[in-house]
Amino acid sequence: MDRRITLRSALVICALLLSACGSFPVNPPLAKYDPSAGYRFEKLEPGSNSDELFVIVVFSGGGTRAAALSYGLLEALRDTKIHWQNKEIALLDEVDVISSISGGSFPAAYYALRGSRIFDEFPNRFLYRPVQTDLLKLALTPVSLLKLAGPSFGRSDLAAEFYDREVFGAGTYADVVAQQHRPFVILNATDMTTGAQFPFIQDQFDLLCADLSGITLGRAAAASSAFPGGLTPLTFQNYAGQCDYRQPPWVDLALKDHQSRVNVRRTARAEDRLSYTSAEPTPRSYIHLTDGGVADNIGLREPLTAITSLNNSWSVLRLINLKKVDKLVVIVVNAATNPATDRDKTPNVPGLIETITAAADVPLDNYSFDTLEILRKTVNEFNESARLISGCKALATARGAQCAVDIPAPHQIEFFPIEVAFEYIEAADERNWFKNLPTSLELPRETVDKLRAIGRQILSEDPEFKRLMQTLHGCLAITGQNC
Amino acid sequence: MEFVVVNYPTKRSVYVDGEPSGDTNEVLRMDAGTHRFDLGVPANYRPASQDVVVTGTTVLVPMSVVFT
Repeated sequence: MDRRITLRSALVICALLLSACGSFPVNPPLAKYDPSAGYRFEKLEPGSNSDELFVIVVFSGGGTRAAALSYGLLEALRDTKIHWQNKEIALLDEVDVISSISGGSFPAAYYALRGSRIFDEFPNRFLYRPVQTDLLKLALTPVSLLKLAGPSFGRSDLAAEFYDREVFGAGTYADVVAQQHRPFVILNATDMTTGAQFPFIQDQFDLLCADLSGITLGRAAAASSAFPGGLTPLTFQNYAGQCDYRQPPWVDLALKDHQSRVNVRRTARAEDRLSYTSAEPTPRSYIHLTDGGVADNIGLREPLTAITSLNNSWSVLRLINLKKVDKLVVIVVNAATNPATDRDKTPNVPGLIETITAAADVPLDNYSFDTLEILRKTVNEFNESARLISGCKALATARGAQCAVDIPAPHQIEFFPIEVAFEYIEAADERNWFKNLPTSLELPRETVDKLRAIGRQILSEDPEFKRLMQTLHGCLAITGQNC
Repeated sequence: MEFVVVNYPTKRSVYVDGEPSGDTNEVLRMDAGTHRFDLGVPANYRPASQDVVVTGTTVLVPMSVVFT
């Protein structure tokens, strides 16, 4: 008898414990697809932010190192004064889009939610905090351990709760939408199954028939920074087929090009979109998102698509064709490091962890290198078309005025690609110090302050930034100097 | 990058893949691939729309898409 009572009690306790186990917070469905509602670029009021000067900023991954460098860049843009359309304004006020990855997503999300208040609040709320230690302590509490026992609740769900509570004050995308102003901030994660970038914008959530407005910034930042291994992927429910969603016309057209391979990248983007809405080969009821750095550790791929394709929800190329953009500025904040290693000083075979780490890091670094190369190639393509036309005109005119030709040209823009990266620090000692900083969600206060300052210095020394300042009669004051 | 001129007797908006993407009789940039061209409303032009594989163009020799 006693044994039966004990067994029943144990079963009841087990049931209670299991019921206390965590489950991921289910993202809300979208009642009906509405292309005129939600977090979309064209829905945001430009206000005094002109399209003619179109500024895109990208923040790379790299934990607090990337967050501090990106925050320093925001401070520098706030302090950069330009003369534009007969007014003196801050260059920050002209930023149209921010695209971010992982650690860079924390200042990006905070700026989307709190605007210029970031400069009073963010350092103490995030940069100077021992976030990594806080997360570890939190994970070891009894309540967290019970939650983590659930199969659909992971360490990133716990991190998302922490970010909501301690960093973003439970702010949601509804709060961001309510502000109705630029910049359009795109936090990027990676779809584990397709390997494609997964931007936190309504155009992407339309595919899931899910409402981005009901998702917190903490959860978006957690997905963007779910560093594989240390943090778990985050789960989102896919309600595809329940909101009368229709793919844009380009998707079917791009799929037709599958066999001809006329534009493989565009076709792949169309196929990725279909993976969420199609029941073939198997319906994807849940989408698992991991760190945005897995797909692109710089955050530049989505802007590159917008610059080179008409088939993007915020196509810059379309704005250029419509003659709305005259000057295009792309500022890449790249917190990549290249830590020194003693590996090559000995004949010993590198260990398993070292080998696996290299296998993960090397392709990522090579991909980032290629991504930056695509940006440079894109700039060249824009410039080359203008050079070709002016060259032909000059050749024809050289044969005599009677040979002058009128060659119609596409709308010409001035392109300013700017890169803020440690490798451009001139002093070798200083460069090596920054390139050996760890990737972590906590850094000493002095290191954070050095990162904030170096972002400003590298920006001010970038040759394309200097050209931009000349063009806009602008100035960024650096320490000890006036404009 | 590809280059296309959509020819029409007068200046009006060009829609590429359903989105306003420039004006007629001007050189437009776009990515390679099959694109759908139309001129929006009023639909007083022929054909109503055209699906065209845009590839192999240069800025000096853009592809021509003609509406009448």
